[in-house]
Amino acid sequence: MAQPRVLVIGGGLAGLSATMRLAELGINVDLVSLVPVKRSHSVCAQGGINSVNSLTRQQGDSEWKHFDDTVYGGDFLQHQPPVKEMADWGPRIVDLMDRLGVPFNRTPEGFRDQRRFGGTLFKRTAFAGATTGQQLLYSLDEQVRRWEVEGKVKKWEFWDFLEPVLDDAGRCRGAICQDLVTMQFRAFPADAVILATGGCGLLYGRSTMSMVCTGSAVSRAYRAGAWYGNGEFIQVHPTAIPGADKLRLMSESARGEGGRVWVPKTPHDPRDPRDIPESERSYFLEERYPKYGNLVPRDIATREIFDICTNEGLSVEKDRLCVYLDLTHVPRETLDRKLGGILEIYEKFQGVDPRVVPMKIFPAVHYSMGGLWVDYEKSSSGGLVEGSPRNQQTNIPGLYAIGECDYQYHGANRLGANSLLSCIFSGLFCAPGVIAGCDAGGKKAAEESSRLFESGLRREEERHRALLVRTAGDENPYDLHQQLGNLMTRVATVVRRNEQLVAAYAEVCSLEERWRRCAVSDSGNWTNQNVVFTKSLGDMFPLAKLILKGALQRDECRGAHYKPDFAMPGIHSTDPAEKRREAEAWCDRFEASTRRWLKSTVAKCGPEGEPEISYQDIDTSLMPPRPRLYGLVGGEEIEEVWKERQRAAGVGGDAQKGSPAYAGATS
Amino acid sequence: MIRSVESTGHHDGGQQSQSPDVAGGNGHADAAPQVVRVRILRQDAPGEESYWERFEIPYVANMNVISILQQVAAQAKSRDGRRVAPVAWDCNCLEEVCGSCTMLINGRTRMACSALVDRLLVESADEIELRPMSKFPVVRDLVVDRGRLFHSLERVKAWVPVDGSYDHGPGPRIAPENQEDAYPLATCISCGCCLEACPQFTKIEAVRREDESADEFEARRNAAFDKGFVGAHAISQAMLFNGHPTGKMIADERLTALTSQGGIQMCGNAQNCVAVCPKSIPLTRSIARAGRAATVWAIRKIFDR
Amino acid sequence: MTANDPSQSFFARHQFLIYRLFSLAGLMPVGAFLVVHLLTNASVLAGPGVFQSRVDMIHSLGPLLVPIEWAFIFLPMLFHAVVGFVIIANGMPNVGSYAYVGNVRYTLQRATGMIAFVFIIWHITQLHWLGTPFGGGRFDPHHATSSAAVVLRPLLITILYAVGILSTVFHFSNGLWTLGITWGLWTSPAAMRRANLISIMLGVLLGGAGLGALGGMRRVDVEQARAIENRMDDVKRMLEGGEAPLQGDPSHGRSPAVHTSEPASIPVVPTSGSAARTPSGG
Repeated sequence: MAQPRVLVIGGGLAGLSATMRLAELGINVDLVSLVPVKRSHSVCAQGGINSVNSLTRQQGDSEWKHFDDTVYGGDFLQHQPPVKEMADWGPRIVDLMDRLGVPFNRTPEGFRDQRRFGGTLFKRTAFAGATTGQQLLYSLDEQVRRWEVEGKVKKWEFWDFLEPVLDDAGRCRGAICQDLVTMQFRAFPADAVILATGGCGLLYGRSTMSMVCTGSAVSRAYRAGAWYGNGEFIQVHPTAIPGADKLRLMSESARGEGGRVWVPKTPHDPRDPRDIPESERSYFLEERYPKYGNLVPRDIATREIFDICTNEGLSVEKDRLCVYLDLTHVPRETLDRKLGGILEIYEKFQGVDPRVVPMKIFPAVHYSMGGLWVDYEKSSSGGLVEGSPRNQQTNIPGLYAIGECDYQYHGANRLGANSLLSCIFSGLFCAPGVIAGCDAGGKKAAEESSRLFESGLRREEERHRALLVRTAGDENPYDLHQQLGNLMTRVATVVRRNEQLVAAYAEVCSLEERWRRCAVSDSGNWTNQNVVFTKSLGDMFPLAKLILKGALQRDECRGAHYKPDFAMPGIHSTDPAEKRREAEAWCDRFEASTRRWLKSTVAKCGPEGEPEISYQDIDTSLMPPRPRLYGLVGGEEIEEVWKERQRAAGVGGDAQKGSPAYAGATS
Repeated sequence: MIRSVESTGHHDGGQQSQSPDVAGGNGHADAAPQVVRVRILRQDAPGEESYWERFEIPYVANMNVISILQQVAAQAKSRDGRRVAPVAWDCNCLEEVCGSCTMLINGRTRMACSALVDRLLVESADEIELRPMSKFPVVRDLVVDRGRLFHSLERVKAWVPVDGSYDHGPGPRIAPENQEDAYPLATCISCGCCLEACPQFTKIEAVRREDESADEFEARRNAAFDKGFVGAHAISQAMLFNGHPTGKMIADERLTALTSQGGIQMCGNAQNCVAVCPKSIPLTRSIARAGRAATVWAIRKIFDR
Repeated sequence: MTANDPSQSFFARHQFLIYRLFSLAGLMPVGAFLVVHLLTNASVLAGPGVFQSRVDMIHSLGPLLVPIEWAFIFLPMLFHAVVGFVIIANGMPNVGSYAYVGNVRYTLQRATGMIAFVFIIWHITQLHWLGTPFGGGRFDPHHATSSAAVVLRPLLITILYAVGILSTVFHFSNGLWTLGITWGLWTSPAAMRRANLISIMLGVLLGGAGLGALGGMRRVDVEQARAIENRMDDVKRMLEGGEAPLQGDPSHGRSPAVHTSEPASIPVVPTSGSAARTPSGG
């Protein structure tokens, strides 16, 4: 009876890779998912997965540079040891996925082909057409199915995680879940519970995320006492296809394969884009960022597209904001081979062939860099200690978080094609530690008295019943969701302003109040999607509040978090001495800002569901933070001053090594 | 260069294209209807009678069936003004890659997310008809239980039998032609369209008995599934893995599955599967290849006995 | 649905083999017989004598004919039919919802299979000696053309035969195409298209042969044919009676009379049927 049992919540890349590794290590796994795991949101990932590879290595690339690109792209908001470990694991993870049968695109000689992605100068991204996430997910789904046949894994699909079960010592001993078909409740005793439930894009109404990405599971863990880190860092993807029901992603790989972003120089030029001559087009990303061009990090591309449309009034259309993403110069055969999947999506949903006519795209909410706070154990070499139960563990012992729902890998901005890596890495890597943690729990969860689980069961049953019988209210949950989404999109995406955030916080509180008066229109107890949605809507408010409060308090610009009131503009002086002085001042300000704000935001759920925010220092021992200067005016001058200061402080070596100017790289 | 960005009232509209009536720009048909009428075949639970319910929702340019159903859920009112429970349906990604939202739309199996209303109205101008898939047991309304579809993947061992997740270096080298051959098969989203349209694939509905435990029921249900046709999607997956350098190491096991009861022989060559596949997967090519492999394998089995 | 009984029946255990044998039987020997049969019948277009000589050739097998008929025609056909009905019973045609060409063909394949089955039973009862107890068995191998022509003469019978023949031919040639997929002879869409062309051409050829035979039968002058057959019969009997053969091989025996009779049947060929109807064989 000493067999440990682990409960994995969520069957995307992270959940499946953890399940696979746990099963392989002899552990029995219960895998709970809202949807059949093969339908998880990971299928939507398109572009690819990053890792150093034999090709880039010969061009001067290394795991260290992948690590550096990731922390630099993330504006140094990550603890560095987990990122280093992830970059180190990159090659073996891609090798593993290759062995699992992922149909990566091939070179003529039969090696994996690679493309370039944002925030790096190397072709570091392996890809399977333009549906890499789908292919990675499927290969893990297949392995887990194999383990299911072996009897090591039991899947609970169409089940909803409701709350973790904690014992008196505060240790997680399982969870309460609900069958979304029969609406029955069930307690799952488990020696460890791993949350792998993805992002919370639905807080923003429409986003590039799938309908299950409500963040409800994370919110439930948060309310049960788990901390939430870096909530205010929400990635807005620069290129998405606007739609009435969803904003569909147009992968960064479109730009990786040569796609160019432009607008006509004449506002709302009515001509067919193909008839607009080159001289009358503004390739604004290439003009402003000559080095990275269309492949600047996402937060920057997003802000620039947003800026050109709103401030410069150069949106392609008059009554709708969008810019052109142009692939028409790329040979059709290449497009079909490397981008077929995403171009078909565009064609299917817009009715226009993007191989012939430039696409119209606009930014959309895409990824939560923030998530549940998790721990790690640093190794002597600066990476992680494999097998440590602290890795990926939340502040609740026995409760783990991996994949997009943890906060650990992407800092203030995630680089493209790093999410697939972080999901698979965290899933694979955490397994031995989780098993070690199971033994730390003393007696097995299955031997716990049933009383421990009964109170949780009763609480959830009561919560559910209360919602069902609440018929007197006059609020419609779907309308409330739309209002919440509009509000969050308006104030907490590309540009953030304190007065708006303050007002929005109050408005979220009032929406939450109104939610309490929501009537469910379906009071039945069989496949009641209405009550499930209403419940998860209620779970969005605590997350919305911590995002708003975190954004309000963070008075700086960092990665995806951009407040114009605290922006640090470039230096414009032409006089050398003056330039120097401005650069010095810029660096002073940068150092002050780093001292004040280079900290993880940690939200704890207060008794009334209000976020209590504190800040934690970040381990930047491997790579000292430096200004993020992608294309900033006067950046060379600032970099010069910064390097001098670093040399004076005796940390110049690393900073040199991490400089984004790679000699050997080609694009 | 990063400059101060003015946040304006436009932000809201632009960010989400709040005014979907101007989105896309090609939905402005001269005679754009004011409302969209839908008729939905509903069923409250397994074993219960099904019934039609009609809804009327405001027309919005560029809408798809998902946005119709979202609106139906939000208003929770039938056309004649009665308060009704929202229609239950499956969906997730809304971009035709998760495979959730298969249903019969105007009588044909397809994905609700990529079924654009403007085109459906060309098919049937007065009313759009939504029904649950007919080859799988209805759970509720438009939600069906497609467990059999995934069980078929178990039957044909649709996986690469790797030793494990320890580092053994890269996978086998693969010629680009082979990758291009395999990739389309690997894009199967398990939506079930091929099964729904297949005249040879017939519904198997097992109902749990009072005296049966969940495990017993599952075992009995799977035994029933094992006798039925595996279906085009599973045959195609078997061919995908039999074509992979490591996957083919258990090719014989897959062929055993494909030639046992409910195997490849059940195919009647109607070729509806390939015609309805939303991902344009060459399913009939897979089926024919499986037929060829089964032929060779069966002959070999006779003589190598 | 395929196996209603819970235990693994023989049929369930050997489903693949049975379905493959079913498929094979459709081609060999049943399909092959069909081709021979239709082409033999079409020889009536060359005159009753030619047809009679073909029939004689078959009947020269003598007592062997019965076991050969059962082993290579009736039993395989019956097997093909029984399995075919199981397949039909387990399918759910849906051509109303999915009116693709392939699906129409799938449905037609089943419909023509059933028509062919009924037609063949009827055809055998009517003409083969097995049908004698049921008032049929009206084909006289010694008077091949005339006995068949008499039976086929009524317009309704001719129409029913035309339907039966065309159904059988469609079933065979379409079945040949699906057989190629089933056995994996053509796998790519392009190969399937090419094979399809061939199967269409074969179908047109066989359909032409079948309808030609039918038309030929209707055009036959029964009295004249009978006269020819009688003469041929006399020759045969003479040969069997030990008389010296007129030519080397008795089965190929062609009396000069046959040759003289041929011009009589040829002129009616261009005029379709109606000319032959006047000397009603009643």
